[in-house]
Amino acid sequence: MKLKKMMGRTRWISSLVFLVALFLIVGSINSSFLTAESIISCLNNSVVYMLLAVGIAFVILCGEIDVSIGATMGLAAAMAGTMAQNGQSLGVMIVYALVLGIAVGVFNGIGVAILGIPSLIFTLGAGGILRGIVYLYSGGRTVENFAGSFTSLNNTTVFSGITWFFTLAFVIVIAVYFILTYTKRGKYFIAVGDNINGAILVGLPAKQTKIVAYIISGCFAAFAGIIFASKYGQVNIVAGSGYEMSAIAACVIGGISLTGGLGDVIGAMIGAVIMASITKILVFVGLSSDYNNTITGVMLITIVVVDALTQRRATESARRKRLAARSAPGASPQPLAEEVAI
Amino acid sequence: MIESNGAPKLLSVRGITKAFGTNRVLKSVALDLEQGEILALIGGNGAGKSTLMKIIMGIYQPDGGEITINGKITAMTKPSVALSSGIYMVPQEPMLFPNMTVEENITMGFKESQRELRNRLKNIMEDIGWKFDLGRKASSLSIAEQTLVEILRALLREAKVLILDEPTSALTFDEVESFFRVIEDLRKKGIGIIYITHRLAEVFEIATHVSIMCDGIITLHGPVVDFNREMLVKSLMPPNTEHVESKANECKIMDYEGKKPVFELQNFSGFGFNNISLKVYPGEILGVAGVVGAGRTELVSTIFGRDKVLGGHAVLDGADITGMKTKDILKAGINYVPEDRYLYGIYGISSVGSNMSSASLNDKSLGRFILNRKNEQSLAQTYIDNFRIKVTDQEQLMSSLSGGNQQKVVLGRSLSTKPKLVIMDEPTRGIDAAARGDIYTIIQKLRDEGVAILLVSSDMEEIIELADRAVCVFQGRINAELCKEEITQDKLTSASFGVVTEKEGAV
Repeated sequence: MKLKKMMGRTRWISSLVFLVALFLIVGSINSSFLTAESIISCLNNSVVYMLLAVGIAFVILCGEIDVSIGATMGLAAAMAGTMAQNGQSLGVMIVYALVLGIAVGVFNGIGVAILGIPSLIFTLGAGGILRGIVYLYSGGRTVENFAGSFTSLNNTTVFSGITWFFTLAFVIVIAVYFILTYTKRGKYFIAVGDNINGAILVGLPAKQTKIVAYIISGCFAAFAGIIFASKYGQVNIVAGSGYEMSAIAACVIGGISLTGGLGDVIGAMIGAVIMASITKILVFVGLSSDYNNTITGVMLITIVVVDALTQRRATESARRKRLAARSAPGASPQPLAEEVAI
Repeated sequence: MIESNGAPKLLSVRGITKAFGTNRVLKSVALDLEQGEILALIGGNGAGKSTLMKIIMGIYQPDGGEITINGKITAMTKPSVALSSGIYMVPQEPMLFPNMTVEENITMGFKESQRELRNRLKNIMEDIGWKFDLGRKASSLSIAEQTLVEILRALLREAKVLILDEPTSALTFDEVESFFRVIEDLRKKGIGIIYITHRLAEVFEIATHVSIMCDGIITLHGPVVDFNREMLVKSLMPPNTEHVESKANECKIMDYEGKKPVFELQNFSGFGFNNISLKVYPGEILGVAGVVGAGRTELVSTIFGRDKVLGGHAVLDGADITGMKTKDILKAGINYVPEDRYLYGIYGISSVGSNMSSASLNDKSLGRFILNRKNEQSLAQTYIDNFRIKVTDQEQLMSSLSGGNQQKVVLGRSLSTKPKLVIMDEPTRGIDAAARGDIYTIIQKLRDEGVAILLVSSDMEEIIELADRAVCVFQGRINAELCKEEITQDKLTSASFGVVTEKEGAV
């Protein structure tokens, strides 16, 4: 009971259990998967997903969606690649990424929060525009030949094989977790996603909150683009496409509800590790990596369906319990407010 | 309305106008509220009450006029301005964050630290003597508890003006009683309360002042003691509806001799009700009285196959329909006019015509595969004409109709399936007096055509006016059965509130 309650409060615990179980199952099929080296490489590979998932988590918590993050990441990666070709520093890339992320976020935010366009459609269009810009920007060619100090960044480790990038992403996730859970501003995102009209009535800046969520989502996607370029050493014109699905799946696996208002970014981080591990897991269980997208999609749909069904059952059983109490033989009138001891 | 004494009013609204497109909703509204007043604001649907409140709350912007708080003209540009001016509105449906705790719900949007807020909240609750588990999730609260949480929000904000939009419409009797005590306490503390309601009895029970709003203007205002019930009713009703009211009172008493019930419940049990037995005869209106929350809505939605039957039988025309699916129950000849129009009753973004025909889409008369537009239109037109539904044409969007006209469309739709039994759950809830008269006429016409009607209503006058026989549900059980001449306000009230324990006058 206590454990169940704890899992209910902190939804990411169940996704951690899932992650461990997944690793153990794969390990039982192929024992060489369960080495420190391969697990650390799963973590290191998850950085791109992690940034995307944490960014989009803000939007999902607000009850919206952002499918433009894959294209944003692709454009940021192409920009980072060209800058690396010209020998520019990481700092400059970050500034440009920030500008790109804010621009995309403001665009999406205005469309969704102020104009009231359904977020799936609006961000789909925004993603199309961004992808088109990638084509124009790179002239249809893959951005490459920028190996060197920039790409070696991805391999710089802090301790026992854990990269700088992972450490940085991890720290960011923890920081974001505390902002979302313990600050008043952070709670706005959850409140807006939980009940937008209620949020407006208690004076929360609902539109502004949504726009900020899109800006955060855009910036994190752009940062993920820098990491992506550093990791692969080349950026082709479709770089990042399909990543939006993985990021959404990571959030959902991590316990963030697509209806908004429920979940936290630690879950998104764990989900990102699971997403990043799928390719590797496929190799270890002897399947082609062609299954990757299909498996991601199946996982996404399975979890969303299970989540919807359990939520419906929970509200239904709560309702029935309330009704049964009311009509129970000899039921006395219920007091207005009562202390409920569990 | 006269500012004779020098002291500034707590809230003063002057010359507020608002139009949505060509529809002028508010035509220069003036309203005053002083400390320690409970101003009952009554008026039909579409009179502009909600719009006015939303303007005071800063949710809508007025086209003209000004709002003065304590003598200071304030531009309510957004809800946070209204909140910081000490105004708080409890909407008709409480707007909590279901996934958050009670405490988070109450303290959301404040600047102070959580600890400070919690201490203040605890003091407030001690002060008014409420106990609440602050760690409970809002989704587990009853509607009454949610309303209380909303009021705690207002108290924590030290609101000076509290707007309550039909707060008792979803409360049980006991809840209403203690809710009124809460309101009275708040009034004594000097809070000014605007109390929107459709129940005249509440005006005399709780309000100090009353304003009637009609068609975008305030038509009557003054202390409650200056008026009586008849005066209020008269100023609420458009002039031409009086004869409808009087005609409805001349009811003939039904003859049950040799009649067989068309519908029967035998020891019917489900979630929220227990061991219900009743009979409905053709051409009869059986009133189901009781307070909201007594289990009536659960009873009828279970009959209609929306929830699980736990025991007993439902028999329609000799056939056992217990536990059948909604689709089959519809086919068997029962139709249900739901309580919540917006949730279950209407397709807001489609036309009146399609709404009307949507229940008959399986019917061959509308074409086997391709929709026969002509038949669809004539079907819809029949009901638009018969029920005097105010529409520009059949293509008008359902959501743009007033509540009364929407309900008429819903009634028309359910009748288009030619049912044997129609279950109506609060058919006139939130509908203005004029449209209410029309709907009563429709219901009586149906009865005269031989349709059996199960009328669920919390409005006792409605049961008295329409029902040929009535049962009363109290805490999930029938505790009284009354025949026509026994149906009085007195008997219904005592039964609804559990005073009667034995069955009376069983047929």
